Amino acid sequence: MKTLKICHLYPDVLNLYGDRGNVTAIKKRLEWRGIGCEIVNANIGDKTDLRDCDIFFIGGGQDFEQEVLLKDIASGKGDAIKDAIESGKVFLAICAGYQILGKYYKTHTGEVCDFIGALDLYTVGQKKRMIGNYVYECELGGRKTEIVGFENHSGKTYLGEGVRPFGKILYGNGNNSEDKTEGARYKNVYATYAHGPVLPKNPYFTDELIRVALKNKYGDDAISELDDTFELAAHKYMVNRLIK
Amino acid sequence: MGKIRLTAAVIACRFTRWALRVIGKGGTSLPGEVAVRLYPDILTDLSRDVSVIIVTGTNGKTTSSRMIEQTLVESGKTYFCNKSGANMLGGIAAEFCQNSSFTGKKKYDWALIECDEAAFKTVSKYLDAKCVLVTNIFRDQLDRYGEVTHTLSSIIAGIKNSKNAVVCLNADCSLTVSISDEIENRIVYYGVDKEIYKRTVEEISDAPYCIKCKSQYVYSYRTFGHLGGFKCTGCGYERPSPTVSVREIFETTESYSKVLLNIGGDEYTVKINLPGGYNIYNAAATACVGYALGFDSKTDAAALESFECGFGRMEMLPINNARLRMILVKNPAGCNQVLNFLCNNKERSLFIVALNDNYADGTDVSWIWDVDFEKLLDVDESLSEIWVTGIRADEMAMRFKYAGISTEKIKIKKDYSELIDDIAAYDGAVYMMPTYTAMLAIRKRIADKFGFKEFWK
Repeated sequence: MKTLKICHLYPDVLNLYGDRGNVTAIKKRLEWRGIGCEIVNANIGDKTDLRDCDIFFIGGGQDFEQEVLLKDIASGKGDAIKDAIESGKVFLAICAGYQILGKYYKTHTGEVCDFIGALDLYTVGQKKRMIGNYVYECELGGRKTEIVGFENHSGKTYLGEGVRPFGKILYGNGNNSEDKTEGARYKNVYATYAHGPVLPKNPYFTDELIRVALKNKYGDDAISELDDTFELAAHKYMVNRLIK
Repeated sequence: MGKIRLTAAVIACRFTRWALRVIGKGGTSLPGEVAVRLYPDILTDLSRDVSVIIVTGTNGKTTSSRMIEQTLVESGKTYFCNKSGANMLGGIAAEFCQNSSFTGKKKYDWALIECDEAAFKTVSKYLDAKCVLVTNIFRDQLDRYGEVTHTLSSIIAGIKNSKNAVVCLNADCSLTVSISDEIENRIVYYGVDKEIYKRTVEEISDAPYCIKCKSQYVYSYRTFGHLGGFKCTGCGYERPSPTVSVREIFETTESYSKVLLNIGGDEYTVKINLPGGYNIYNAAATACVGYALGFDSKTDAAALESFECGFGRMEMLPINNARLRMILVKNPAGCNQVLNFLCNNKERSLFIVALNDNYADGTDVSWIWDVDFEKLLDVDESLSEIWVTGIRADEMAMRFKYAGISTEKIKIKKDYSELIDDIAAYDGAVYMMPTYTAMLAIRKRIADKFGFKEFWK
């Protein structure tokens, strides 16, 4: 039986806004197709071997725990994460998880906090939070699709040359509420501000991550169709409410 | 001159309230906003000779307030309170206007005020509270208040404004206890000394790391969430020994819990007239407030047995053969407690979730994924069906699908009339978990059809 190993990075501190629902979505959609799924939690202090994991998930968190987190990243996990990204592993990074993969975070008072530096992007804090349901357009597996989610961030993210935007904002703020870009793509990293959680009600997105991970591991990305009536109803409701 | 303005403000407030009723609106904050606009110090003036009890914290405010109200009743105190969830500055000002004479003289000795942490910070500037109860601190609707540390600082600011208040704190909540470092008030702690449930949902702890030194906590026992016998492995910060505590839990049933309650050294076997572990906490909090204010502890214990539950807090609304209970939910911690209750309940029942995402509900519904609905699989056989309704019914239906519930069992009923007709045709226990605005709308439909009282009456 084909099996994918999912690594949930820092679920002990990066666990806000229902983001763990993303792991549930991947797991269920693998199970429903008869594909095995193993989940490893890499908490602060854990010496998890990241090399045999296929899909990585890193979510949003509160500022309070950031100090504990950065210490752990500096003690080796940051390098392991970089290696995994460079070797083409699938990453889903949300909000704080997205920012942390970037180079640094500058607070609105000017303090600079170094991050992992796996992606060519940086974030600048501001006082006003960007909060609300939003929708963006992106391309997944050669197909144009709309993604709905809930953004809640005070950091404005700016992309460098080394990455490209994941999507174009149709409604809401996205990366910085200035350039209409949303999220970032690099190798097989999918980074976005979308909470919600994003995967359950955007089933194409979940399936894209699964396909890329299967192709990486088994060289074959064929997956069976599922009945997505519930998922698409939830998706369509928000798209209609926001932009139709 | 001030006297005239005060009288004018009181009259304007009461007139606005009356006018709103006449046109059929149950609005509860506008009249007070009018009064505050006319006379900014209105709360200070109207509360001068009134003993004010403030109830704040994330969860359990309303139920604790109703229990405290019962102790006021049974100990023969005259009082008024802000019912119906009007707990912002305007709503509270309106209650004071309504409950004093036109010239601003007090009508009652006590005021029992429930207010959220943000409003507490503001109203405490005007009220010289005699007692402040902090029930607990959990993550709430984050799209509005930000992080738990933000909630905490609002409460601390509120208590600092309440220099003369005795403060009742939940000893089992590491976030709440940390308030003690920041204040100089007299503190009385309450808590639950033991585990409550045999089986509990899996929860994300809202406070895994020490608020003081950021090391991990260890627990000698946990009741739910991050509540229990915590101790920091780094700095040694730990649960203080409470003066008022639940020593033993004898029985937890569908309609009550029976516990051994210690109130400052006196022990009472108490039947808490409301089910659910979180209501055991609310009862202890109530006894703590009574103790802190020097009430007779025997009367306080008796009040817990006789009180009837409030608006949407396990409130029983029998419709034909359906025994409908409404359980308002606002955040994952509260919702997980409802699930703890349901998962220990073996009776055949129907479960309904009504999910709205209006401002008062919290516009971000992602919290439903932080709730361990997977635990419902343990009682799958006793759940006849799961119905979903409200603005975000589709999202909720999908959540249940991903929790592993068979899609055959999940019914989407967005039309409230149809929903209520179907409930009325059901025979047995129905547990409905609505968010705030969904509850108001559904309750009104039920009231119109079956003649229950409107909440603001």
